[in-house]
Amino acid sequence: MWRKQNDVKPSPQPASKAPEQPVTAVPVKPQPAPTPVAAVPVPAPAMPPAAPAAPAFSAPVTKNVVTHDTSGPSSIASGLKIRGELSGSSDLYIDGEAQGKIALPDSRVTIGPNGRVQADIEAREIIIEGTVEGNLKARESVRLGSSSKVQGSVLTPRIGIDDGAKLRGKVEMTRAGESKGPATAEKPAPPAVVYKAAAASSESESSKR
Amino acid sequence: MNWMAKTRPGAAAPAIAHTSKPGPASASANTNLKVRTSNGLKEFLWLMSDVPHARVLDLGPVWQATVNFFLEKGYRISTDDLLGTWKEFVSAEEERLRAAPLTSEGYSARLTASALADKFLENALQYPEESFHGVLGWDLFDYFDPAVSSRIMDRLFGILHPGGAVLALFHSRAPERFHRYRIIDTQTVELVAAPTLAVHARVFQNREILELFAKFRSSKTFVGRDQVREGLFLK
Repeated sequence: MWRKQNDVKPSPQPASKAPEQPVTAVPVKPQPAPTPVAAVPVPAPAMPPAAPAAPAFSAPVTKNVVTHDTSGPSSIASGLKIRGELSGSSDLYIDGEAQGKIALPDSRVTIGPNGRVQADIEAREIIIEGTVEGNLKARESVRLGSSSKVQGSVLTPRIGIDDGAKLRGKVEMTRAGESKGPATAEKPAPPAVVYKAAAASSESESSKR
Repeated sequence: MNWMAKTRPGAAAPAIAHTSKPGPASASANTNLKVRTSNGLKEFLWLMSDVPHARVLDLGPVWQATVNFFLEKGYRISTDDLLGTWKEFVSAEEERLRAAPLTSEGYSARLTASALADKFLENALQYPEESFHGVLGWDLFDYFDPAVSSRIMDRLFGILHPGGAVLALFHSRAPERFHRYRIIDTQTVELVAAPTLAVHARVFQNREILELFAKFRSSKTFVGRDQVREGLFLK
């Protein structure tokens, strides 16, 4: 993944000292605690006008260096296969094949139209356009696109289903943020327990003629 | 659930089928919109109204409207497009048999409806016993061979909780178009025209319907002006 041009941030300049200086292309040095370095004026490439205030880690600069954009989603492109457990904090786009388990509780997971996933997915937001065999658990929302095909249960506070989506499984609502931590809300019981509990509660109500 | 033991808030509305929804937005947005009043659905929901967090299985395709409808009531909804799954299964099976050598034993036997149904149910409708309080079967039994229907019915009976209900629709003549069903409100169902998944297999007579649901202890039927019979069957 290549850094987008508009992701290049100007070096931090106190607004009071330099009102509007020509924006320069600045490479990012991979240092944890960067020291501000004076920008060297260079011919400005095509840049979007005046980027907003740079974040705290914005960096010292040089030119013509391409950096990896860690803020964008990681992707498993079409034609790639991956097997195992995926975890972390980056957003994820899968248009290839994945098997195993995907646990990105603070991120967005998108399964592209060519994506084929055999895995339970836990994420903040899940968007499906491809095929998934596994349970979906989202803290915020699940969206099933028109070409999606899901076999498994869906546990989420919000669900969006486009016409044409195929779902073979259960949909259950949770309160928003329920899966984030056990302290904030009660944890949903596993399906088998839910079945038994509800069955027991209703059994007494049903009566045979 | 027992409709004899419950008091009713009001009489059932007359079963009237109409082809335009009396809503300004919906009517103008989609001229093909076809809705029907469903007393069967109303009764189905009334039966489940006493069950907290009732579990419902919709055997049609998944729709946002239907899912929302049940989730807002606090129910748990499962969807399993049985006809779609059946079509995929049959296509795969045909492909497999086509590729198999003609001399293989039992070639013709494996094509019988009952053999196909048995194989289909090895993977379809795999839910724990007594999992659901209600099953929305819609009109899918019209599209299955009797041998398949009876096996599906046996499976449905097993996964239904005692006292649970099945809502099924039966056409009195072959429908002009293939429709899927989407719940609009407690008494209204939208018929969504869809590509034909299966050919209408049969028109059920009353006696045949009762035979199909013979294991169920109680039944109630409603006939709409569109001559679609709605049957509600209690386990």
